[in-house]
Amino acid sequence: MCDQTFMAATFGPCDSCSKASPLMNIYIKSEAINYCSFCVEMMACQGLQKGETLATLKKESENLKKKLEEERGKLNDIELHQVAEKVEAVAALSLKTRRVLKGHGNKVLCVDWCKDKRRLVSSSQDGKVIVWDAFTLNKEHGVTLPCTWVMACAYAPSGCAVACGGLDNKCSVVPLSLDRNENLAAKKKSVAMHTNYVSGCSFTNSDMQLLTSSGDGTCALWDVESGQLLQSFHGHTADVLSLDLAPSETGNTFVSGGCDMKANVWDMRSGQNIQSFESHESDINCVKYYPSGDAFASASDDATCRFYDLRADREVAVYQKDSIIFGASSVDFSLSGRLLFTGYNDYTINVWDVLKGTRVSILLGHENRISRVRVSPDGTALCSASWDNSLRIEGTGPRGNPTHPAPQLHPPAHSGRSQSVPRADRIYSPSNKFLVFPWVFSQWEWLGKSSKGSALEPS
Amino acid sequence: MSNNMAKIADARKTVEQLKLEVNIERMMISKAAAELMSYCEAHAKEDPLVTPVPSSENPFREKKLFCVIL
Repeated sequence: MCDQTFMAATFGPCDSCSKASPLMNIYIKSEAINYCSFCVEMMACQGLQKGETLATLKKESENLKKKLEEERGKLNDIELHQVAEKVEAVAALSLKTRRVLKGHGNKVLCVDWCKDKRRLVSSSQDGKVIVWDAFTLNKEHGVTLPCTWVMACAYAPSGCAVACGGLDNKCSVVPLSLDRNENLAAKKKSVAMHTNYVSGCSFTNSDMQLLTSSGDGTCALWDVESGQLLQSFHGHTADVLSLDLAPSETGNTFVSGGCDMKANVWDMRSGQNIQSFESHESDINCVKYYPSGDAFASASDDATCRFYDLRADREVAVYQKDSIIFGASSVDFSLSGRLLFTGYNDYTINVWDVLKGTRVSILLGHENRISRVRVSPDGTALCSASWDNSLRIEGTGPRGNPTHPAPQLHPPAHSGRSQSVPRADRIYSPSNKFLVFPWVFSQWEWLGKSSKGSALEPS
Repeated sequence: MSNNMAKIADARKTVEQLKLEVNIERMMISKAAAELMSYCEAHAKEDPLVTPVPSSENPFREKKLFCVIL
């Protein structure tokens, strides 16, 4: 929590007492005010004298929240999936595992593609950051960081550097050199300093600025060359777990999601929180912008992924199923934004039709939870990083050969149903009607459905 | 006492933030959804995962090896 220690973006004479000290940059009625922390407290005290008490302020904020809900409700004239009924359904997706990248000794926590569409950087729990060539499976560079749990890694837009950070509370930039024998760890430069772990990092449009999100509840924009803090973003009341930059060239907003169940959209230049969305019921693990920049998706521990439109300022779709009970850890859109790839803690990746809200496909194969899914910059492949120490690259198979069709969930007719032969490698419920969720196996299937609709309840 | 002031400062910040959020301009969902749909349709042809590309253009295809015995 970042209320007592605050990130001082500027140091200088305070606007009210003119003493030089670290200044808190706050906004009152959209005016930027730079006061030292003592004057901020004095100002709050003056508020008391005008008859404002904590209770009246709380009441006012409750009223404003209700008004916000009302204003958002007024726009709800139709649902997204209703509008999408006229669109053709997506063709059956035939994704096959094209490459398996093995080499990490421990859980892979993060992956990012390079703009050249073939290189990847991945980071893992044991402190190793590896740069791969996805076509040839070559490991081009490897850096060992002195800390464990490198939760964030990002490729620079030029392809000449990678940024990584985690439990060391820092985000460092490592320039990649063509010389294989050079010790990359020696050239590593610490850019970002937080007071808690770094959960996400991303370069802005150039190699010169780095945006980070942290467990201390703040996001921050840093200058890579000097390591200076350019802007800090306060507003989350718990750890920030993920961030994503708006895709447009001129865009200067980003979205962040955290453990306070809120997704906030920020203006990078002013540090202002522009919009806030609070409809998830648990921590938001990942946020990702829609390719057009007008919407974003979020994945949460409440087993749902949600789609928010920024201009309508509300949630427009929820991607969930009764059979999905495990938290979603990561989301990414396909190139056109029609498909949403979501990685879950039950070792699967679900592919959703963004407009219609239906599931198109499931990707199986990982043997532990998925930590990150990323679509390549040209949209031809999906890379998934998992706690089973490997990364998989999935691409389209030859036409007309679906290898992962959407599972058919038909309630069986009571008469004439053929009895499947019990298999030795599966665990059946005593009545033989239900298959108990086998975690060690990579596939699971419904054998039957009780009237209550849950496979795990005894008949 | 200072804790109380901190809470008041916090509550004030929340109130100001909410006032800003209530006043932004919003679009009807029908219009926003139509724009999302048109973006999808406009870019569907370029998306290799939505409209499959022939194997020759897929960089991750399985490479067939030719073995010529001379």
